Amino acid sequence: MIEKKKIADGHHHSHDHAHSHLPSDPELRVKAVETLLLNKGLIDSKTLDELIDTYENRIGPKNGANVVAKAWVDPEYKKRLLIDATSAIRELSYQGRQGENMVVVENTPEIHNVIVCTLCSCYPWPVLGIPPTWYKSDEYRSRTVREPRKVLLEFGLSLDPKVQIKVWDSTAEIRYLVLPMRPKGTEDMGESELAELVTRNSMIGTGLPKEIK
Amino acid sequence: MSRLHDMGGRFGDGSIPVPRNDENEVVNFEPTFKYDWHARAWAITLAAGALGEWNIDVSRHYRECLPPKDYINFSYYEKWLAALVNLLIDKELISLNELKEYVSAAKNGTIDNIIEKEIILDERTWLAKDVQKTLGWGGPSIRDVNVSPVFNIGDKVITQNYSPNKDITGGHTRLPKYAMGRVGVIHSYNNNHVFPDKNAHGLGENPLPLYTVEFKSSELWGELAESQNDSILLDLWEPYLKPLPN
Repeated sequence: MIEKKKIADGHHHSHDHAHSHLPSDPELRVKAVETLLLNKGLIDSKTLDELIDTYENRIGPKNGANVVAKAWVDPEYKKRLLIDATSAIRELSYQGRQGENMVVVENTPEIHNVIVCTLCSCYPWPVLGIPPTWYKSDEYRSRTVREPRKVLLEFGLSLDPKVQIKVWDSTAEIRYLVLPMRPKGTEDMGESELAELVTRNSMIGTGLPKEIK
Repeated sequence: MSRLHDMGGRFGDGSIPVPRNDENEVVNFEPTFKYDWHARAWAITLAAGALGEWNIDVSRHYRECLPPKDYINFSYYEKWLAALVNLLIDKELISLNELKEYVSAAKNGTIDNIIEKEIILDERTWLAKDVQKTLGWGGPSIRDVNVSPVFNIGDKVITQNYSPNKDITGGHTRLPKYAMGRVGVIHSYNNNHVFPDKNAHGLGENPLPLYTVEFKSSELWGELAESQNDSILLDLWEPYLKPLPN
């Protein structure tokens, strides 16, 4: 029982610092662990290639941009998106890992939403892909809940003091996507043209969509 | 009591590392993986996770349990890799001697010589042909259980003022320190979800009501709050919350 508890609470006393045997060069570290797992047949190199290719080339912020553009042109879709984002996003075939429970929060002239994960790096993979470095940084994780206005200024975003900021800290398995406001002067634009205006940062709340010139 | 990963609200961190172009404008594009080893570390972590020997809460807790010195000094994917190695050893998927053998081969440049030609895949191993299917399904944490939520939307609640993990000292929890002992309002009820405080320790899924709770900025930061108008919303399980009269 005592032994079980030691493992359970993460104090691995018998081999407390197994990771400390790893070489200091991270490339060699990965190489050693990867080769060991491959040789033991516990991972398959084709699976690794497929995973990396998927998130480098197929799943990324373009998906989210398509969701946002559709919501801008189709009021019924927007309604569904705000009520049940997981199902509405699945209509565009975006679903699954790290997006099992999606919630979309809408920016308005009165409310600006910002997404963060202070405890780790939770992020809606099916619509935004793998998080950028800044999203995973200590600076963003520690400061965004306490001083969101200063943080947004560093992204070049200056909000009117009258606008209410809502910061969503992803502490559970719900994943958030911001629905930014449609830029002015885009009334004649179609869905695919609009999607080009939707930046990744505008869907996290640290930016706005591109404006048309 | 908290661990280093629980950094919301702390002082001392500098500017956000926002990528900029030559004109000093914010750039949205960043390569998915900056270095090849980032991609490899990420992919082997996912692939090893698919063996089914641990869940997402266990792997998060292993990262959080890295010694503070390492947690601070390691970059993001170094944390992933270190936690993965500790998990692989604890779950006896690899031995310490094997690890040392491969590490010394990597160090002295002979690792390519020990790559096996004929590999027999373990029956649990995640195959490339199943990758899209598995990603598309994901790992839903909602459980269809007959548990009714105690709180209603609009109820005033106060969070536990110490780590709510009652089973394990220093155990996993998803109630950040900055939101402990604070008064908030139930914004929504999000069904019943696997409870990380138990699931991270092999104590079962124990699905419980999950709420989104809204806290006024001034409730969390007092006079330091940037605006009395702003709010912070967190997703919190029922045991993190105590009722307050409205």
